[in-house]
Amino acid sequence: MSRKFLILTLCLSVATLLPLMGATAQQIIAALDANTHFSTSHSTGFITTVDRFGTRTSTFEAWAKGEHTSLIAFTSGLERGQKILRTESSLYLYYPDADQVIRLQGAALRQSVLGSDLSYEDLTKEGNTLSSYQATLLGEERFDDVLCWVVKLEAKSKSSAYPTQTLWIDQEHTVVRKARYATSSGRGLKEMEVIETMEVNGRVVAKKSRVVDLLKKNSHTTMHIESLEIDLALSDAIFGLENLSW
Amino acid sequence: MVKLAVRNITRNLRRSLLCAFAIAVSAMAIVLLFALIDGMEADMRDNLVKYYTGEIRIRSSGYAEHERYRPLYQSLDYATITAVLDRMDEVAASSGRIEFPLSIYLGERSRPAVGLGLDFEREHAFSNLGTILTDGRLPTGGTNELLLGAALAKSLGTNIGERLTLLASTAAGSTNAMSFTVVGIVTPPIGALSASALYLDLERAQRLLHMEGQVQQIVVRAVSKAPLSPLAARIAADIFTTVGIEVESKTFSQINELFALFLTARLIYYAIALVFFILGSTVIINTTMMVIYERMAEIGMMKAMGMQDGEVRLLFLLEGAFISAVGALVGVLVALLIAYLLGKRGIDFTEAMSGVDMEISSVLYPRTNVRTSIGIYVYGVLIATLATLAPTRRAAKIQVVEALNYV
Repeated sequence: MSRKFLILTLCLSVATLLPLMGATAQQIIAALDANTHFSTSHSTGFITTVDRFGTRTSTFEAWAKGEHTSLIAFTSGLERGQKILRTESSLYLYYPDADQVIRLQGAALRQSVLGSDLSYEDLTKEGNTLSSYQATLLGEERFDDVLCWVVKLEAKSKSSAYPTQTLWIDQEHTVVRKARYATSSGRGLKEMEVIETMEVNGRVVAKKSRVVDLLKKNSHTTMHIESLEIDLALSDAIFGLENLSW
Repeated sequence: MVKLAVRNITRNLRRSLLCAFAIAVSAMAIVLLFALIDGMEADMRDNLVKYYTGEIRIRSSGYAEHERYRPLYQSLDYATITAVLDRMDEVAASSGRIEFPLSIYLGERSRPAVGLGLDFEREHAFSNLGTILTDGRLPTGGTNELLLGAALAKSLGTNIGERLTLLASTAAGSTNAMSFTVVGIVTPPIGALSASALYLDLERAQRLLHMEGQVQQIVVRAVSKAPLSPLAARIAADIFTTVGIEVESKTFSQINELFALFLTARLIYYAIALVFFILGSTVIINTTMMVIYERMAEIGMMKAMGMQDGEVRLLFLLEGAFISAVGALVGVLVALLIAYLLGKRGIDFTEAMSGVDMEISSVLYPRTNVRTSIGIYVYGVLIATLATLAPTRRAAKIQVVEALNYV
């Protein structure tokens, strides 16, 4: 019985991995997008930034729907009550002491969130990677004892925040384990490492990741996801501008 | 000899007047130049002390290293430092400030500006915004109210009573936004401030920037007119010994390079004055040389009658001295009158200064300085008189026989 089960499990595993064995860079990235993008999600967590000001932690609650819509609300510290709403075309900031919602566009999206190593774009950008980047498979490499594909992404448009990205993608779980973001000439902009993963509804996603903005001195940010629910029913009203002041 | 010199001057009055006129124009130009420079210097000093740095500015010792990033985290504990300053007899007044870049959001529009968080009560000794308030009132402490520079208000199309949202980077590098009501319009004399500055209560600025109890700088006024550098050093030392905080304490002239340049530039202006007077003196030199040739027979006759070479030289020197004395006097007096009138009315450089980021007012008021004017007068007479020395040597060397041949 147990032998049959073992053979069955092995067959299923091979069947799952088979489509990506000998896969092209495009197939790998498409699989990565499919694994990390959800129809809807709700998460809670905290961001810890260590820099010249010391160590600061801000807790947050986030909702996302589709590829382009998300809302992050900060729930502690000096930023308590601040919200970031991302829609397909714009990014809005809500501050509790301000009458009006502030719309960010263009280069402003690359500003730091809460003085961390993360930008607004880092926190909210979703979407189809292959529509924005040209992917090239550089080879295979082990990172933290995990066999990874190394894929280089080159931006199709000059407006992309990161002209090149090098991703180390876990071959088993199709999740990014490490990323290096750089200019087109190769100058490093940011580095990201996944420290811990978790499984949600059969998918492995990052639970704790560390981001370093290479343009800042002695600074790094760790993002912890404490809870993540995916593919749940979310009302469109959550993402309405008029509801930001709740 | 004096009588003879005066008589010779009046023998060809038109020519003497022309010489005097050249010296007068030179003296007038120099007095006006110095009046304008004195006016600019006083204006800049006044603006720096009122709106920028105080007589002495105190900041955190680490601020200057990262100044171009406006590191608000390099702040000072306002209450602690103020307590030390209030105990110092040489300090007449002090006030905390935070200057920070921000974006103003007004509906869909936004534009960059400079925010100034001020302790309005203590600012009476410095910017005293009530004196430049052209509309409305000063903000009430602890409320979300602000003052707008007149040119900024005009460019935004904003009136009193309207709400503006300000977005700024906090001391820790995150962002924060708050909305304020415009309660007044101020017209600072500096065009750049009018076009880009807005003023809010210090406590509100601290809240916006997450700097509770902290200030970016403290400006100081001294009790006496004594040199400020020793006091600046004493302030830094007192703060360190009393509360153990290392601060940077500098005088306004140490901070502002342009003002320091103004002071050293005075030497250049003296050189310019010398050139002006030499140019004016060429008329006297030329005239004296002509007169010597014209009066060759007369010189020969005077020498034949026993006049010594030195006396001949002195005669021509006196003529030059009298002409330059009268010319320089008229020039200085006319210049003082013009400078006085311009000092009352002011010279409007608004158009020329638009877009120029300098701590000089758009309307300049030349300043007359009696001591400087007397100095320029003496300087002018001296240069013009000395300039006549060369041709008078020619007169002294004339041989009697040679001179009498001119008859």
